Amino acid sequence: MADYREAPLASRPKTLDPNEYFNLSPNHRRSEEDRAALRANLKRQYQTQLNNPHRKELIEDPALTRWVYARANPYLTFKPTFKTSLMGAMFGVVPLFVLYYVFKTDRDRKEEQIKAGTLERKFSLSS
Amino acid sequence: LSPQPVNMAGVGFRRWAQALSKGKGSGISALLSGCRAASGASKDGLPGPYPTTPDEKAAAAKKYNMRVEDYEPYPNNGEGYGDYPKLPDRSQHERDPWYQWDHPDLRRNWGEPMHWNFDMFIRNRVDTSPSPVSWSTMCKQLFGFIGFMLFMFYVGEKIPAYQPVAPKQYPYNNLYLERGGDPEKQPEEVKNYEI
Repeated sequence: MADYREAPLASRPKTLDPNEYFNLSPNHRRSEEDRAALRANLKRQYQTQLNNPHRKELIEDPALTRWVYARANPYLTFKPTFKTSLMGAMFGVVPLFVLYYVFKTDRDRKEEQIKAGTLERKFSLSS
Repeated sequence: LSPQPVNMAGVGFRRWAQALSKGKGSGISALLSGCRAASGASKDGLPGPYPTTPDEKAAAAKKYNMRVEDYEPYPNNGEGYGDYPKLPDRSQHERDPWYQWDHPDLRRNWGEPMHWNFDMFIRNRVDTSPSPVSWSTMCKQLFGFIGFMLFMFYVGEKIPAYQPVAPKQYPYNNLYLERGGDPEKQPEEVKNYEI
């Protein structure tokens, strides 16, 4: 197991993670405590709203609002760089021309064959 | 000294008409009120542009409910991320199934910062948890099976193996009358068997 290598893009099992065993410095523990404090604060806010007997409306999640806003408005922070222009061209412009060219030549070749009478019409489903 | 009951709708309409006549705007913006309610989320709780100074970084970390040390924005190369935090690419499959999450099916707590690709990492979709067998084993098994099947189908195309068949044999002298033979003439005897 010393040479365990995780699959690409997958994570390591927790029992093989060296952080579990070696990362016990006070700094690490303090940061874990800070994170736990943040989480506890959010939990408290949620539970207060959840158990409020006078609440009639849905509990709004600001993290969800931020996520939706961020995903829906990428063009506010869009900058035309080399990479972004290349992606736009590759996915938006090139397929139009390439597909037009491919389909046109294929159809023309088939039309020629039909006119010449050489088209072999087989009975298979995948033409 | 109780105040006289007054029709608030009438008061409101009168005030609106006064504001409209005095107002500077034109079109639809003149008809709408210029102020919003103070309840609900505010505009500075929303994602903004990439943070450059440490102050902006701290403010963004606070906005997203993260520690300043944990907060790491996406690189500022114009791909539309802004100041959204870059969280590790871990799917919701990996989260503790036994902890009491606020949203158990999403394994997420209220207010927790969501990954940019959160909708990809839900439990119905992409799974980044550790694989049960190693990558090399998985590759060998999958491509081995596919390769073997392709090879066998190719061999079957080249060397077909089926039951022996012969051309169909018809009775009545090879269907002499049905094939338009002369009923007066006696057809030649056709024997489709051998004893």
